[in-house]
This record gives sequence, structure tokens and C-alpha cells, in this order.
Amino acid sequence: MTKPLLRVQDLHVEFATHGGTVHAVRGVSFDVKAGETLAIVGESGCGKSVTVQSLMGLIPMPPGQITKGSAELMGHDILSSKFIDGQDIRGSKVSMIFQDPMTSLNPTMNIGSQIAETLEVHRGYSRRKAFNRAIELLELTKIPEAEKRAKQYPFEFSGGMLQRAMIAMAIACEPTMLIADEPTTALDVTIQAQILDLLKDLQQETDMAIVLITHDLGVVARMADEVLVMYAGQVVEKGPVDDIFYRSAHPYTLGLRGAMPSNDPQNNQQLTAIDGSPPDLFSPPKGCGYHPRCPNAMVLCNQRAPVIESLSEQHWSRCWLHHADSEQRPQGLYFRPSAAQPNRTPEQKGTSQ
Amino acid sequence: MLRYTIKRLVLGVLTVWFIATATFFGMHAVPGDPLSSDKSTTAQIRANLEAKYGLDKPLLTQYAIYLKNISQGDFGISFTQENRQVNDIIKEHFPISAILGILAIVFAALGGILWGALTALYRNRWPDSVIMFLVILGISVPSFVIAAISQLFLVNINALAGTTILPVGGWGTVWHMIVPAMVLGLSTMAYLTRLMRSSMLEIVNTDYVRTAQSKGLPKTRIFSRHQLRNAILPVVTVLGPAIAGITTGGFVVEIVFAIPGLGRYFVEAIQQLDYTVIMGTTVFYGAFLVFMVILVDLLYGWIDPRVRISP
Amino acid sequence: MSDTSWQPSPGDFAIAPQHQTADVITRPSMSYWQDAWRRLKENKRALFSLYLIIGLVMFTVAGPYLWNIDPSAQDLDQIGMAPGAERNVTVAPAYTPWYGPEDSLTYAQDNRLGLTLVGVATSQAVRLAWQAPQKGQTNYGYKIYRTLFALNDGDAFGLPLMETQNEYFEDRLDLQPTDYYYTVVALDRHGLETDQTSTIQLTVMRVITLLEAEKRGLTEDGLVKEGDQIKLALHPFGTDYLGRDMLARLIYGGQVSLFIGIFAPLLYVLLGVIYGSIAGFMGGAVDQLMMRFADFAVALPFLLFMILLKVIFGIGPGESGVLPMLVAMVILLWPAPARLVRGQILQIREEGYVSASKLLGAKTDYLVFRHMIPNTMGVILVTITFQVPSAIFTEAFLSFIGMGVAPPTPSWGSMCNDGIKSMLTRPHELFFPALFISITVLAFNLLGDGLRDALDARMRNRE
Repeated sequence: MTKPLLRVQDLHVEFATHGGTVHAVRGVSFDVKAGETLAIVGESGCGKSVTVQSLMGLIPMPPGQITKGSAELMGHDILSSKFIDGQDIRGSKVSMIFQDPMTSLNPTMNIGSQIAETLEVHRGYSRRKAFNRAIELLELTKIPEAEKRAKQYPFEFSGGMLQRAMIAMAIACEPTMLIADEPTTALDVTIQAQILDLLKDLQQETDMAIVLITHDLGVVARMADEVLVMYAGQVVEKGPVDDIFYRSAHPYTLGLRGAMPSNDPQNNQQLTAIDGSPPDLFSPPKGCGYHPRCPNAMVLCNQRAPVIESLSEQHWSRCWLHHADSEQRPQGLYFRPSAAQPNRTPEQKGTSQ
Repeated sequence: MLRYTIKRLVLGVLTVWFIATATFFGMHAVPGDPLSSDKSTTAQIRANLEAKYGLDKPLLTQYAIYLKNISQGDFGISFTQENRQVNDIIKEHFPISAILGILAIVFAALGGILWGALTALYRNRWPDSVIMFLVILGISVPSFVIAAISQLFLVNINALAGTTILPVGGWGTVWHMIVPAMVLGLSTMAYLTRLMRSSMLEIVNTDYVRTAQSKGLPKTRIFSRHQLRNAILPVVTVLGPAIAGITTGGFVVEIVFAIPGLGRYFVEAIQQLDYTVIMGTTVFYGAFLVFMVILVDLLYGWIDPRVRISP
Repeated sequence: MSDTSWQPSPGDFAIAPQHQTADVITRPSMSYWQDAWRRLKENKRALFSLYLIIGLVMFTVAGPYLWNIDPSAQDLDQIGMAPGAERNVTVAPAYTPWYGPEDSLTYAQDNRLGLTLVGVATSQAVRLAWQAPQKGQTNYGYKIYRTLFALNDGDAFGLPLMETQNEYFEDRLDLQPTDYYYTVVALDRHGLETDQTSTIQLTVMRVITLLEAEKRGLTEDGLVKEGDQIKLALHPFGTDYLGRDMLARLIYGGQVSLFIGIFAPLLYVLLGVIYGSIAGFMGGAVDQLMMRFADFAVALPFLLFMILLKVIFGIGPGESGVLPMLVAMVILLWPAPARLVRGQILQIREEGYVSASKLLGAKTDYLVFRHMIPNTMGVILVTITFQVPSAIFTEAFLSFIGMGVAPPTPSWGSMCNDGIKSMLTRPHELFFPALFISITVLAFNLLGDGLRDALDARMRNRE
């Protein structure tokens, strides 16, 4: 197995607010490999954005605080320092694009300069050279009349164009990893597809890793190699994209799938919503965070946090239903073919809390 | 931008006309008449004087003549200082007020931006608390009190040093300008500091500053390229009214520091009820302020591309 | 950490009873105003400012009943007295004229003119005598000076009091119980000053005649006799340059300043609200026309026209000039709130909830009273609060340039104006009115900040 590009282990992030401490991320671990796309899915407030923002050092501290865990990019600890070999990893090794391109660009600076800025800082390009490169990048992201466009300001661009410009800015220094935080949520559907295609093309050309944050399973199916499903600050299921979609092993994943429209004309099933709302992360539940909403909740779920139960080499779920002693087999949920294979890979032992 | 400029200028001229008209009819509505002082003792002298100042003609004719004169930049002759053109008075005294005002606005704007940015960066720590306390003080104490106190301070400093470090009043050298300009700009600076601070605090939390952080830019660059320029925009929008405030604030400072500016002259004219001087200076100041506001708006357009480019 | 020793018991995997209710968000529902009031109460500075404002209003309203002193009455024995100044006064015999020193007087030995104090220096009179420069030399006359400050070499001698041919002088000019320096200068035949001078320092004792004391009610039981010490009337904040009680003037001045400061904004904001809502509501050409006029009116340079209007209105004899100031402010300042309210109305008209209300068949008056007014109320309230300091400043500014309320009516601004003239010698005359203005303005500014934060949730992050 090749060494992962990014390895995050047992990440905990808290926010001190007037009402108390919010435990936004509670022990998240994952690996990202070069050239792969990792999707992190979950509903609003599940901690997916906080996870990646803490990696990028974008969490305002205070009130935010990384209380535990580690994150290594190419073997360097990036939680304590953002610098590798004297260079800020942000914008060079890792870059990020955001949900709302309309507000994510400086309104009083022209697009070209905003792209060029990254090159000036990380590559030491002259202003002119950086600007010319910015025009090339805009062309690369398929913006017509790039030369003219580079001199324009964000308010003269449409949303989709702006997101392309954001992508141009993000790939300026040929990063090894691109974090896309809901890159298509604010765009209309046709533009969404174009942006996703663009990202995919760029990934194939440059072999960069993409961490894609979204709540749209359609986007996941289109883009991801591997998927993390997050709920209430924890990863509840992790696996290759096919496993997540066709062998969902956590009731929450199943719930998310039930809420996703299908384009199969034969399938006229009604969409089902997940009732209730996520738990209060001021005082995270002792047991499974999902149990109040879970249709298959057991007595144990309220009392004890579930441990990671692996289903195959790459696929695991954090649910008591997969425990050897559990006898429930809810319909639609995937289970280990034979109960003979005992649980838990050594790697995940310590992290299951 | 050109169309916008022309539109603003036309509106500006109309506003000046409105100001002139309001001044004219306002002054003619004053009970009593300007010649009732000791100069017009006999009917003959009175008639002569009325003829001299054009007061014998019907009101509308006077208005027409007045407008014509003003459009040619002629504000008439002083009532109390015969044979002295109001234009001459303005020419002599306005430059002094203008220099003082420019110094004050520069001081206020630079100070406001600097302190505002500083307090926002040190939010809720001691530099913030200290500066904001001074700012609140600067906003709450009337300008003439500040002027008087600073003068008292100068007197004491000079007495302590045994020599004149800075002159207490008067006009002439750069040293005469420093303290009055600072006093004049102080309350505006306090106001701009508050504005700049809240504007900075808002911008610290914007998405595009987060983007700049994610680009790995050094803090200083984020500050200068992304925060400062955007935070200054609201400060620039209020510079127009601020200039108006500083102009009238100049009256007080000119009186307290014995500076021979137009403001002090205006106040004297009011106390002597010198009608043409009052009218002339009011219209002149009015026009000046109107065009300063236009200038500031155009400046804003130059800074903010959203205004500059859209028609 | 999950301990490995733990083993689940069979019952653990039983299906849990359904619908353990997911967290229901229960918070008491609060109206907009209740919520705003709660937020305001949390803001200690704003709350304190509110109490301060109530206190100031009480001070001016209840003040006259608690401190029943005429603000125009002069206490000629205590002119320009600082607060807490010595109030003891000696009862002295009535003044009798003086015609020079007796022969037995011994002069000071300073090898010059030998300037000497005759008798006791009292606030009634200071009597000085001196000798001719040289025996037998012709006397060309003398000049007498007085000052409050110790003389150094080269200093001027102070206020010239008199030129005289006599070798004595009696000073009765506005004597205060303090130290004075008197200088006498001999003149030459051309009437010019020579270097023959003599200076004396003396302390003036405050005296009052029995008659005066009785007249002012300072002799409670009639047992006071000459030579006794009695106390003069109390002035907690001192007196001004005319001997008027500062506290009384601050109270009455506060009535004027706060009246203008609070009522003027109320009136012109109200006028602006009416104008702006009509324009915003009518829309179309009416709106355009009304707003064009407001644009012009707002461009009038405010303080210049304030002065102009004050000149136009004039102040008749015996009038205080408060009303003309109020009217002038209303005439000049309505356009800004009018534009603000019109903008608000236009914005609210486009809001979804107004459309929804219209679809449900709401009538105009319902829309106005149910949606428009409540939703603009916050902005209007904040505007009024922030306008108060500027109105108070305007009054002070006008008073400072002599266009304010007419004397003898006091206002804080005119008191400052009076106080500035004697700032060096009697700072309290400037200090107290300036303090009251500053506190009032400060309180309204902080309250305005608090109100804005409380009423506008979006603004809560700011300061």
C-alpha cells in the first residue's frame, strides 16, 4: 500500500461559546491518497467543514481549538505548523475552494491579480509573470476571453465563472491536494455538472487528490473514490463509493440514500426524510449520536458509543447492528456475509470511542 | 463613469442654485432692513445707499441681478466695510481656512484609518480599550472645549519649557497650523475610527478574507490587500459630510486660536449683521461643500470598481 | 476508550422503545421588542447610559424644587468663586471715605517709593500710600497697577488702575478675597514711566457690612456684631463671572439644552418619518418629486443655514431664543430621516411577508400598522437617539459663536461660552457645563450603540 498523502488521526475540534463548549468534531480519522477523491458527506452541522477548515488553519482561534489528534501531510505535522520547508502549505501544497464564489473573492481586486497573488507569494513570480500565468490558468479552467476577463472584477462574473476562477486560483501552484467545500451548492444544476467535470479533468491531468465536502449524494456518486459519512462530529461509515451506495452499512447512510431522488423511471418510491434533528453538540450523547432518529435503535445504542465494525478491508461502519451479538437484520442494510470474520482491524482499535 | 460625473455636476449646480435662492429669500425675509443702522440718517442718504446696494428695485429684479452676479462669481459689496468686495474678503481669508481644513481632514482620515484598523486587530485587548475610550471622549466633548483645553495645555507646556514650543494662537508658519488642525480634525477622527473599526471587524469575518488565508498569504499581505482597502470604502463615503463638519468646526477653532480664516470672518459678519457678507459666504461655502461631496463621491467611484465600471 | 473487557449482555440488543423524542427545541417565544429589551439589558454600558439619561432629566426637572435659587440672581460677594471656596466673611463697619494717610504712617523701607498698605486690605477697599522718589524733587505723578500673578523681572505690572498726583491710592475695583500684587510707578515730566517703582503683595480679607448681611439673611438670629465671622451663601458648584449660582444655572441650562437636544430630534425625525413614508408609499412621480426636493434640502450646509435662520428669525427683547432654534433645526434636519424612512419603506414593501400579507387580503392600513411601522420603528428609534448628541452640540456651537439662546437664559452651551473667557483663572466655569454636555452626549451615544445592537440582530457582532 502506498503511503497516504494526508493522514488525519483522531481529530477533535471544540468551540468555546457563551453557551458552553461545542464539540464540533469528535475523533475523525481518514487517509487521502494521491490522485483519489475522498468525499465527506453529512447534513449541515455534522462537522465536515470544520474538519477540513481545521486542517487549513481557517478555524478562528479562539473560540475554536483543536484539542486532540494529528494530521500529517506528506509526513509533516500540519496542525502545529502550516509551513513545510519554509513555505506555507496553504495555496501551494493544499488549496481550497469554497461554497459561495460570489462572496469568496475580494470585490475590489481584479480576478487576475487575485490568482496571480498566490504565485507571487509561493513561487516568487514577478507581478507581470504571475498575471500572465493567471490568464493561462483562466484558459485552463475554460473561461473564454481570459485575457479580458482577468482584468475584470468579481461582480462582473457569473457564479459559475467565479467558481472557475476560484479553481484557477486553487490550482495555480499545482497543489497535491484540493479541498472543495461544497463547491457546487450555490450554483445552478447545469453549472454544477460543468464544474465537477472541470475538477475531474484537472485531477486526471495533475494527479492531485481532492477532498470533496458535500451533502449531495449525486455529487458523491459522480466524483468520489472513497466516502466518509459524518454524523454529529464523527465518521459513522467509511468505504469505497460503491460500498457506500450499494452496501450501505449504517442506518444513517441508508437514511441519506432514502432521501435522494433516483432517476430510475421504474422506481417511483417516495423520498423519505430522516425525522428529528441532529443532537446538541454542547453535550454530545453518551451512546450513538444517531440513536434518537434511528429506526433500528436498540437499548444499547443509548448507553454506549458504538465501535467500528469492519465489513471488508476498506469498508467499515460505526454501528452496534454489526456487533456479533446483534440479531437484527433491517431490510436494505448491508451486513458482513459471514459472521465468522471477527471484528476490528488493529489500526482502528484505539480510535473507537 | 463620465455620464455619472456629468449627472452629478449638473445636480450640483442645481443644488447651488437652490442654496443661493434659499439664502436670498431668507435674508430678505429678515425683519427690519439692513440700512436701519446709524448710516442712513436722512432720507436722501438712505435713498442713495439703497440705490448703491440695489435695494430700491423690486424683489424679483433684485433676485435676477443677484443670480446673474453670483453666476459670474460676484458676491457684491460689504455692508459694514464699504468699498470692500465680498470676493476680496473670500479671496483673502478662505485660503487660510482651506489649508487648515485640508490639514484637519488629512489628519482625521489617516488617524481614523490607522486607529480603526489597530483597534480592530487588537479587538477587546488593551490597545482597543484605550483607543476606544479616547474615541468616545473625542466624540462626546464639544470641539470648542477641546480647543480651549489644548490651548491651556499649550500655555502650560510653553511656560514649563520656558520658551514657545508651539504658538498658542495666530497664523503664519507651519507651527501655527499643527495644533489647530489637530483639534479641528479630532472629533472627525474619532468618528472615522469607530467607523473603520466596525468596518474592519466585519471584513475579518468575510469569505474573501478566509479565501486569502486559504491561499497561504502572509498576514501583512492579507491585511493590506484584502482587509484595508475594503474596510476603507465606508470611511470614504462619509468623507463628504465629514468635510462639511470640519468646515463649520473651523469657525470655532479659528475663533479660539485667533486664526484669520473665513470662518471667523463669517461669525464676525453675523454678529455685525453684514448682509452681503453673510449671503456671499453662505453661498460660497454651500457651493464649496456641494462640490466637495461630489468630489468625494467620484473618489469613491475610483476606489470601488463596482461603482467605477457600472454605468 | 472502549475497554476490551466489556461484554454486551443479551438484553442490550433488544429493540429500543421507539420515538424517544428527538431534541425538541423549546425556548419561550419572545416578541421582537421583548427580545430587544433583553439584549439591551445585557449591555451594561447601554443600561448605565439609560440610567444616566434618566438621572440627567431628573436633575433638570426636579432640580429647581430641590435647589431653589434664581439662576439670574447675583451674589456680588462671591463672584467667580470656585466650588468649595472659603465662605467665611468678617462683618465690618460700613465704608467711610478716605482722604489719604495720616502723618504717623511708617513707610516700607525698599529704597524706592516705599509702597505701604494702610490699615487692613478688605474686599471693601485696599488703601495704599507711598513716598515721593526723592525729597524735594518735583512730583510728576504716579501710575498704579494691580495683578493676580507674582511678578518676575520684565513682566508687565498688570492692570493699570489709575494715574494720580497724590501719594496715596484707594482701590475699590472688584476686589476678591485673594492675593494681589500692587505696583506704583513714578512718572517723569513727560508722563512716561520711570524705573522708580515699588511693588507690594497683599491678601484681601473678605468683609461684609452688617446691613448687607442682614439684607441677605446671613444673620440668623440678629446676634451678629461687627468683627464676627459669618458664612456667606453656599454655592456647591461655585459661581460664575457675574456671581450667579452655577448649580442653579446648570439646572436651568440643562432644561434648555435637554429640551432642544431631545425635542428637536423628536420633531424633525417625526416630520421626516411622515414625509418619507408618504413618499415611499405613494411611489412613482410623487415619490420622485418629493425626494428630489429632499435631496436639495439635505444639501443645504446645516450649520450655515442654522445661523442664517437664527438671523432671519431674530430674537426679540425678553425672548430666550429657544423656540426659533427648535424651529430652525426642524426646518433643516427633516430630510435625512425622511430619506432613511423612505428607503426602509421601499425595502419592506418588497419583502416576502408583505406580499404574503397582501395575498391574504390585507388592507393598506393593516400593512402600515402591522408591518411598516413596527419594522421601521427600530431604525427610527436609533436615529433619534443618535440625533440627540448632534442637537446638543448644535446648541452649544451656536451659543459659542453668539447665536444661541439669548442671555440671561442659561444653557450649557452658553455657559461654556462664558466659561472659556475666564478659563485660565476660573476653570470651573468651563468645566461644569462642559462636563454636563459631555456626559449627556456620551450617554446618548452609548445608548444609541446599545439600541442599534439590540434592535438590529445583524449588527450584533459589531462592537
